[in-house]
Amino acid sequence: MIEMQNITKYYDNFRALNNFNLKVEKGEILGLLGPNGAGKTTAMRILTCFLPASSGKASVAGFDIFDDSVEVRRRLGYLPETPPLYPEMSVNSYLNFVGEIRELPFGVRKQRIGYVCERIGLDAYRDRIINTLSKGYRQRVGLAQALLHNPEVLILDEPTVGLDPNQIIEIRNLIKDLAQDHTIILSTHILPEVSMTCGRVVIINEGEIAAVDSVKNLEKNATGRPTWKIILKAPESFDWQSIVNKAPDAQINDLVQADTSEFKLRLNKSEDFDDLFKVLTKENCVFREITPIKATLEDVFLKITHGEERKENA
Amino acid sequence: MKVLAIMKRELQSFFFSPIAYIVFAAFMTIVGYLFWIVLATSKMATLEPMLYNAAFILLLASPVLTMRLISEEKKSRTIELLLTSPISPAEIILGKFLACFVLYCVLIALTLQYPLFMWHYAPDLDWGPIISGYIGLLLLGAAFISVGVFASTLTENQIIAAMISFGSLVLFWILGWAKHAFENAFGQMISNLSVFDRYAEFLRGILDSGNVVFFAVFTLTWLFLATRALESDRWR
Repeated sequence: MIEMQNITKYYDNFRALNNFNLKVEKGEILGLLGPNGAGKTTAMRILTCFLPASSGKASVAGFDIFDDSVEVRRRLGYLPETPPLYPEMSVNSYLNFVGEIRELPFGVRKQRIGYVCERIGLDAYRDRIINTLSKGYRQRVGLAQALLHNPEVLILDEPTVGLDPNQIIEIRNLIKDLAQDHTIILSTHILPEVSMTCGRVVIINEGEIAAVDSVKNLEKNATGRPTWKIILKAPESFDWQSIVNKAPDAQINDLVQADTSEFKLRLNKSEDFDDLFKVLTKENCVFREITPIKATLEDVFLKITHGEERKENA
Repeated sequence: MKVLAIMKRELQSFFFSPIAYIVFAAFMTIVGYLFWIVLATSKMATLEPMLYNAAFILLLASPVLTMRLISEEKKSRTIELLLTSPISPAEIILGKFLACFVLYCVLIALTLQYPLFMWHYAPDLDWGPIISGYIGLLLLGAAFISVGVFASTLTENQIIAAMISFGSLVLFWILGWAKHAFENAFGQMISNLSVFDRYAEFLRGILDSGNVVFFAVFTLTWLFLATRALESDRWR
């Protein structure tokens, strides 16, 4: 559906994107993840024909973004970082305007505005002047604008930024829903967001692709072996060394309180935990907490983007 | 259709901001005063002095009307919506130009009351120069607005856009003085570019096709440059 080949973009002498390659299949939600200034917005602007690439090729729905720019734009819905709203207009007249420049005939326009407003929860706000709307509702109007012409491809630049937690969940669910009939690229620097919505993640750092994978795989690679955090109350006679012997990789991190101990256990196989569990119960230990430790995307991200630096420092 | 959509939205926002009302009020006050003072001093049933001075007021007012056209879209980032929609820069520029021109026509139409007043008291009024004067005023307005649209594509700062168009318009006014400075072909060539010398001919009742073509070409040139400037934003 979307393809970028060797896209490079310079702003004067600053290289914002370097040899960017990307392929997105139909119906996929792809997350672009990276720190501020990594090149997420630049990549999106190039795809939406707002900015030209310095070199490289890209196509959307089979149309080249340079040669068939109009065809590409017909098939795209784009929500920029700042929703492109006219503050003096009402939601209704704004969406009507967007429908007009997106070539929707009158009847279809009316029907789509009704449908989109209902879907995004703007129904009660259709006559409100955009200026009087809160940040969350403006973001919704921005999203409504991008969806209005039922585009094949949706490009959303930080769609949940500035929303409150409830709204974030609503918008996320909406995006997941939309993936049924749209191909979606969204960018974010909020890590849980990608793990909740995206099937595949592209991690960008300094204009280059640092990693492309599914969220699950990335998490697995970052943690390596299964790890548990255990808090338990052990009898005083308890021999700490026996645990270590039982599980050679177990690490006793620190004693949290006088009568409870907190461990971080790293094992080769999940099954190793069964033996350990038996030993601990036999020794009359009382479990307070057993938590499997999963890598967050934060870990993944840090590992990928700062991995090399760390090696150098070490 | 898309041109009309841009035009409609632009007109809407003109009347949402106080700018249009303030320009209208200031212009009508000054033109009303001009009409009265010229009539009271000359006691002649002619509209030429009023229309000539009205053009000067419009030179001051039109940059205020045009300055926000593209600048504001850039500043509020709504330009991203326009440029990622299936609409060409030429359509955007044309829509913006037409919106401003419609506004200008309304403004000019409001001054038609003065020839009607005059006609009431002087039934044998010479309509020729008045009609050609108004035709000239419309062409002049189109020229002013096209310069303003171009200036507005250059920057996201409205004040800078207004200053650029104001400076250019004043320059095109005073170019005519060159023919007094150099009484040769060179002076004549420069002063041929002066919009005001040509406008003055309309006021005297001369409807010269050369002048009409000049204004048309002048307007289209600036609109073309504006389109290229808007496109170049994308390709820079």
